[in-house]
Amino acid sequence: MFLDFARALGDSSLSIWIQSHLWLTPLLQSIHIVMIGVVFTAILMISLRVLGQVNTDETFATVWARFSPWLWGGVVVMAMTGIILSIGEPVREASSTSFWLKMGLIVIGLISAKTFASTLRPFAYVGAAPFSGGAKAVALGTIALWLFIIFLGRAIAYDVEVWGHLHLG
Amino acid sequence: MDTPSIINAIHDSGLSEWLRSSLKAMPIIEAIHVMSAAVVFGTILIVDLRLLGWPNTQRAFSRFHHDLLRWTWLAFGVSVVTGVLLFFVNSVTYYHNTAFRLKMLALILAGVNMWIFENGAARKALQWDQGPTPSAARLAGALSLTIWISVLFIARWIGFTKGYDFSIPQDVDLNLNFGQ
Repeated sequence: MFLDFARALGDSSLSIWIQSHLWLTPLLQSIHIVMIGVVFTAILMISLRVLGQVNTDETFATVWARFSPWLWGGVVVMAMTGIILSIGEPVREASSTSFWLKMGLIVIGLISAKTFASTLRPFAYVGAAPFSGGAKAVALGTIALWLFIIFLGRAIAYDVEVWGHLHLG
Repeated sequence: MDTPSIINAIHDSGLSEWLRSSLKAMPIIEAIHVMSAAVVFGTILIVDLRLLGWPNTQRAFSRFHHDLLRWTWLAFGVSVVTGVLLFFVNSVTYYHNTAFRLKMLALILAGVNMWIFENGAARKALQWDQGPTPSAARLAGALSLTIWISVLFIARWIGFTKGYDFSIPQDVDLNLNFGQ
């Protein structure tokens, strides 16, 4: 079903317009990559604060307030560039196992980041080691999750090589 | 041994041939390169914006420097290792690729800019740790930001100029029964 939709989308005038402007895809991918830096570093700083590795002179709430606008702003730009890129190559994305896994994990990652932050914001600790082992485990898991999301983004170009018969094409 | 001979020797090395023949190595190495580049750029972005006075100059510059520099260097080290491996895969193509050469030039410029800053304005950082940032430091921050964004853009361009054929049909019928 998704593949049929993707094929129809690929024949649309918008998709053909994107495909025919050869500078557009590298430009959008470049912006997408700059935003990976913004979003992942925001996630990293928030997680490293929980782990007591950075900004230990500030509370978690301060660090969250500093970096979360970058996280959400970056995600919006990534979504916009990502949607245009997908419209330009809909069949490639729809048949990619990495693509669908990436989309699912991004939703999980954003919901869990929001939930995690809401839970930790009231703890106005300053210093290196006030957070529980559980909170630190979630922070480490968050870093690992977003690293995996970056891997999946790159793996879209190698879907058959990475997933073999699990490739959706 | 001249440079083209060295490039050819790298291309023909056992490591290069193994990387080219391995199905999983390339996506893994490329993904780690993107991950480390993201951390290099992101942590440098935070320091550069602080030099430009954003969001403010209340938190001491030395704290930013102390907190972030080790992560920047760690990620840069990973970037260099994965970057060298990627170069090994296709050394002849990369050597002749203009975008690749521009990226290397931009990286050198970033290094020179950092060296000037670390040996100039940063040495007197205690004088402006929480106050207005001197213009030399602000200039270093603005240059660094511009150069690193350029590095990411040029890096992405390499993939589209190293022999990629723009005229390939988008819906080409690929044989997906890989390895059969």
